[in-house]
Amino acid sequence: MPSLSWLQIITILSFIFVIVAYSVKVRKYFRMPQNLRWDLYPIPHESGYKHGGSYFEEPEFWKKPRRINRFRDMLELAKQYFTMAAYIKRTPSYWMGLLPWHIGFYAIVTFDAFLWLDAILMKTIGIQIAASASIGGEILYYMTIVLALSSFILGTIGSIILLLKRIFDDKLRDYASPQNYFNYIFFLAVFVTGLAAWAIGDSTFGSYREFWAGVFSLQSVGISGIETAHVLLFALFLFYLPFTRSTHYITIPLSFLKIRSSDAPNFGGDVSDRKLQDALGLANQWSGPHIQTGKNWGEVVSNIPDTSAGGKK
Amino acid sequence: MTAKRKIKLNDISKNRGQPLIQPDVKDCMALPFDVGADDKIKPLTENQQNSYECSLDGISALSIPKPKTKEEEDKLVRSFLNGLEKLLSKENNFTFLLPLTLTLNYCAKCLACCEDCPVYLSSGRQEIYRPNYRSEVLRRIIKKYTSHGASLSGITDGDIELNWETIARLAELSYRCTICRRCSQGCSRGVDNGLITHELRKLFSQEMGIAPKELHDKGTVQQLNVGGSTGITPKTFKSMVAFMEDEIEEKTGKKMKIPVDKEDADILLIHNSGEFLSWPENPEAFAIIFEAAGLNWTLSSEIGGYEATNYGLWYDDVQFSRIVLQQIGIAHKLKAKKIVVGECGHAHKAIMVIADRLMTKDTYIPRESCFPVLEQIVASGKLKLDPQKNNFPVTLHDPCNVSRLMGIIEPQRNILHKIAPQFREMTPHGVNNFCCGGGSGFAIINSMNFADWRSSISGRMKMKQILSAFQDDMNPEVHKYVCAPCSNCKGQIRDLFRKYEIFEKYGIIYSGLVELIVNAMTDLREPYITWDELH
Repeated sequence: MPSLSWLQIITILSFIFVIVAYSVKVRKYFRMPQNLRWDLYPIPHESGYKHGGSYFEEPEFWKKPRRINRFRDMLELAKQYFTMAAYIKRTPSYWMGLLPWHIGFYAIVTFDAFLWLDAILMKTIGIQIAASASIGGEILYYMTIVLALSSFILGTIGSIILLLKRIFDDKLRDYASPQNYFNYIFFLAVFVTGLAAWAIGDSTFGSYREFWAGVFSLQSVGISGIETAHVLLFALFLFYLPFTRSTHYITIPLSFLKIRSSDAPNFGGDVSDRKLQDALGLANQWSGPHIQTGKNWGEVVSNIPDTSAGGKK
Repeated sequence: MTAKRKIKLNDISKNRGQPLIQPDVKDCMALPFDVGADDKIKPLTENQQNSYECSLDGISALSIPKPKTKEEEDKLVRSFLNGLEKLLSKENNFTFLLPLTLTLNYCAKCLACCEDCPVYLSSGRQEIYRPNYRSEVLRRIIKKYTSHGASLSGITDGDIELNWETIARLAELSYRCTICRRCSQGCSRGVDNGLITHELRKLFSQEMGIAPKELHDKGTVQQLNVGGSTGITPKTFKSMVAFMEDEIEEKTGKKMKIPVDKEDADILLIHNSGEFLSWPENPEAFAIIFEAAGLNWTLSSEIGGYEATNYGLWYDDVQFSRIVLQQIGIAHKLKAKKIVVGECGHAHKAIMVIADRLMTKDTYIPRESCFPVLEQIVASGKLKLDPQKNNFPVTLHDPCNVSRLMGIIEPQRNILHKIAPQFREMTPHGVNNFCCGGGSGFAIINSMNFADWRSSISGRMKMKQILSAFQDDMNPEVHKYVCAPCSNCKGQIRDLFRKYEIFEKYGIIYSGLVELIVNAMTDLREPYITWDELH
């Protein structure tokens, strides 16, 4: 009979919840109608990227094959995630909190993913994960520790700096909401308990691995008080994430690749024509004097009424 | 220095009837050589203050009449909220729903964008001109007052009181940003405050019928019905072409028949009709170059065919689409092989970028910028050019719509490097340029005291850049040239230069790119650029 502890059940539910909630949010974006172009240069995949150029610089560009560098798209996205370099020049002191905070976040997610991986390998192929284990087990052991410590230390530093910035910077304070402060304090608690669990609990994370392995083998595994506090906070953190702006971790590629860098020229075609026809068939309900409310978009834009904003319909 | 009031986000709904700030040039970023040190922004008259909404900053771009009763106010508030619901629905805003939703959801409120905004920096960092001030006010209103609030990320954030004052201020505030989108370049989340401005303007126009008369009544409505946003009719246009032919002959000795309504041409060239009225030397220069290069081209004299502008780009998707359909229709009627857009930045972006996904297999027609076409002509050797004829300091202004929003950077530079030996860049330039301060329609909005604000604040950064580019020799006897290949930018720079007497004090003029090319042509008897006439 499966005998999972309450903490293990909460942990599983938190992972399922965050994946489902994020998927629902992202699906909503993908189901939105095709928007008009809204390019913003420089666009990384363009051959003129270095000077901010585009295919529009070429005479009769529509007769030439496009040269697109998708690798550079990915590279620039990676820079947005891992350096946030745009902040260095503009708001350096904010960047000093923001970068470690984000790296702490990436690291804690990866740390937990490694614990899953460790558990799977332990239960499926019986690998031992320890400092004295085989090369594979040794690598996993040290990577887990490095990830955990990076996460807890950088996350703690970042949370404190951002919290202090929001408290003491007049302008940042004005733009902050109570949720911002709650987030910094909550996330700080997640990172600090992680650090404490390592410092005064199990510095090898062996008990964590057993905890996860227990999840796979459906066996209840107990962990110490401070470790329980961290695991519980992390589960709550996952439950809470979809109610924050954290979906930006997933939507950044959408903002960059589907909006500002989405510059593929449209020559018309079955797919794009159908998308446009669908959109033009939508009922236009705007009430401005120059709009024939209730007609569909296609009818409204094909009709030019002799009106002004203050005039007759 | 005057004492600046500390403004908070929720102040937008407070102190009813009183301006949140009164911009004072003394608070603004200083200009080199003490230019504009005694400048003042003219306050509205008492009568204007009593009649029109001006409680944002004492400036009026929109001339919104003050509601007379509480019922009127309530009706306007309801209308605004209806518009907001529509802005966030796919039926009414398929055009920009995805980018808008992403921008509303993911701002970190880090304020990094502010360091890129020429209006905010020029104003001496006035709080209400922060690029994300209006965005954040809008987010909080959506959160608290609409059915879409719950779907916005974040749990709290809704502490703005919504009353008519809030809406009137927000309406004016949507005309304190030039939509240059410089602030968006540095946002690592892809948040776009320029888009918020664009969408707010749409809400006011498409739902409430509120838009600057220069953009709507005298702009898109006039263009669609008369033929040009300048009021030029087809008949007037034809007589202007005849005038241009006479002027070309007078200036260059070349007798020329400018092709109009020619069918099956390779190129339908469309200009901002403001060029014909204010700077005919620009379309004349195009004609000289295209004829000398032996191109098969034409202008159109039909409604929709001789006006490249599309002010709908800045405030109204419906008007935008109507104008695009009109322009494309003319090109097909003439069986032109492609449309080439003259020196007009927003016209470039409107028909080449924003209208791109409105094309179908049947309506598609290639659209091209004039810059690569001109670059190809200059590089081909078809024109005999002598750069020494342009041996004076030249700098280049990059129109935002052409550079940051389309990525056309090099062709105009390649031309200048060939024909202007003293060409120097502004700092910054290219894709990181600063807006001229007349973008998104500002250059043509002259309502009440808005032109003062535009010259003193939104155009301030460009003024500084221009002066700095020529700072090695400010002697007015040494003539200098700002190449501004965009009609709206030229309009703004013209107003700046007049206000600060830039030609008289420093010998600087502005004009386009084609004028410089023609000025370098060796077979011209007299210089094409006449300094006294151009300033």
